[in-house]
Amino acid sequence: MSTTSQDPETVQTPMVEIQQLVKNFGKLNVINHLDMTINRGETFGLIGPNGSGKTTLIRMLVGLIKPTSGDIRIMGEHVPSRKVALKTGYMTQLSALYLDLTARENMRFFARIYSLHGKEQAARIEEMLERVELADRADDIVGTFSGGMRQRLSLATALVHRPTLALLDEPTVGVDPELRRSFWDYFHQLNQEGVTIIVSTHHLDEAARCTRLGLMRAGELLALDTPQEVLRQSGKQDMEEAFLYFASHERKEVTA
Amino acid sequence: MNVSRILALAGRIIRQVSRDRRTLVLIFLVPILVTTLLSLVLNTNSSTLTVALVRPTGQGSQQVNTLLNALLPTSDKLKTIDINANQVDSTLNNGNADAALIFPSNFTQQVAAKQHPTVQIKLEGSNPTVASALNGQLQAVTKQLGIALAALQGGQGQPTLPISANVSTPFDTAPTEYLHGGPEYTATDSLAPVFIGVFSFLFILLLTAIAFLRERAQGTIERVMVSPLTRAELVLGYVCGFTIFALIQSLLILLFVVFALRIHYSGNLALVFLVTILLTIGSVNLGIFLSGFAQNEFQVIQFIPLVLGLQIFLSGVFWPIAQLPGALRPIAYLLPLTYANEGLRNVMLKNADIGAIGNDLLALLVFAVLMIALSTLTTRRRIA
Repeated sequence: MSTTSQDPETVQTPMVEIQQLVKNFGKLNVINHLDMTINRGETFGLIGPNGSGKTTLIRMLVGLIKPTSGDIRIMGEHVPSRKVALKTGYMTQLSALYLDLTARENMRFFARIYSLHGKEQAARIEEMLERVELADRADDIVGTFSGGMRQRLSLATALVHRPTLALLDEPTVGVDPELRRSFWDYFHQLNQEGVTIIVSTHHLDEAARCTRLGLMRAGELLALDTPQEVLRQSGKQDMEEAFLYFASHERKEVTA
Repeated sequence: MNVSRILALAGRIIRQVSRDRRTLVLIFLVPILVTTLLSLVLNTNSSTLTVALVRPTGQGSQQVNTLLNALLPTSDKLKTIDINANQVDSTLNNGNADAALIFPSNFTQQVAAKQHPTVQIKLEGSNPTVASALNGQLQAVTKQLGIALAALQGGQGQPTLPISANVSTPFDTAPTEYLHGGPEYTATDSLAPVFIGVFSFLFILLLTAIAFLRERAQGTIERVMVSPLTRAELVLGYVCGFTIFALIQSLLILLFVVFALRIHYSGNLALVFLVTILLTIGSVNLGIFLSGFAQNEFQVIQFIPLVLGLQIFLSGVFWPIAQLPGALRPIAYLLPLTYANEGLRNVMLKNADIGAIGNDLLALLVFAVLMIALSTLTTRRRIA
């Protein structure tokens, strides 16, 4: 894909605009009339329990599944768009890697399908492997890696092509606390470099690390605000209490 | 269409397969082992054979023709058709007959004038078993005819058949001619070409189906789908990656059967490759398509009898399609291996040029396009 004069970067639109988004799987409603805008430069947290629709939402954002109705625009473009795809990094819930290849070969494959070549490619791969502390294992077969190492490599492959939008679906699931902290330090660093991050998690304690939160439950937004404001509105001390407050609050609203 | 992305994908597949030593050994050694075994085991096959008859037409030929009708064995294993002298090669070539018995039109007059006319047996020859069986039968028929005619000329009146006497025949039978092949051809000669098709089809189908299944299971297919890689690039990358192995495999089988099994090979390697490439494109895409219906590797294996068993029996590997029961013949014409086998046999045994196998190439192309459409549909359905 060649870069055109109308670079989506230069068009000053929100990073993500979601309008009246609905997704049904058969009779099951997974996303229910969702409206949401995510600005450039945010670290946006999609917070909610398993089955709240976080993964479905992210899969619709990357264009893997089609919305039942409603509209998604990323960088002003309707998804799926090749232009957007080139600038998006996607880390799936499972560490999606080729287990029979080495770490470096995995990196090289993903770099090449995102049109990163030559010296720039080699330098970027080294840089990313250093960053996720896998440089010394670069030429080992990924099948021999531990879960945490795979998760780190998965993150590195998702970001190898310098995306401006990183969609990270539960990147810290099954990751030990130490690695979770280093992941979040890195997300913070990426954000400083201008990368917009959308990260889903069911670890409520990670919510405080985000610039803004979308609290999700059963395909609906319970709250959409900064962590401080979410806590303030609920009058609770921590995010877990706040989430429960909003969940029960909503239930009362529905039954009323 | 971005060539670099296609190459990235093809390169990754080549790397993955090359790293899997056991699979590599199986891809390249199994065909050779099986070919060797079959060449040792094979003997005769039963079939309905057809003899094309160019009858003498001149004055007084009726008696000879009556004798011929009496002498030619008629059974459901052998039938006779009448043709003109100028139709011999075309009738043999298009498969309407397996052998021809050719009398000069003025045969009777020549016999009467003691000019010792020549009767010609001509064999289609690409199936050695058929050729040698028919050669024997037709030799016997001409000999008996000669004996009968000699007896008639000797003034013994109406001859009774069969006549066994050491009467010198009033004509000669020319040495048998082969349009293709020769008396030294064996069953392996006719089987070697189809092995190239069968093995590349089977192995590539399995490799692709399982590789694609793994891509889905480990989630990498999703990352490939959200990347700028288009579906066309994905399919092409897969085709390129696996075609390399199909071609190496074909080349190895070819070298092995030519130099180790000493089959008689008179074809054009480029055409063998062309047939293999077209077949492989179909096979890769059928593999992607089938992988959409399998949840695990075991289920992929279950497709083998369905996809391959059917084709081994119906695509002319062992029995010519013309000899299949009428109800099965239409199925045979739907199978890609039918055309691959015919094309490879024609190239390797009859040294056919690209024009002569044009129909086979076209059929394989149609199959490939159809499979690409199916695989594209399933990747969409399965990912979404």
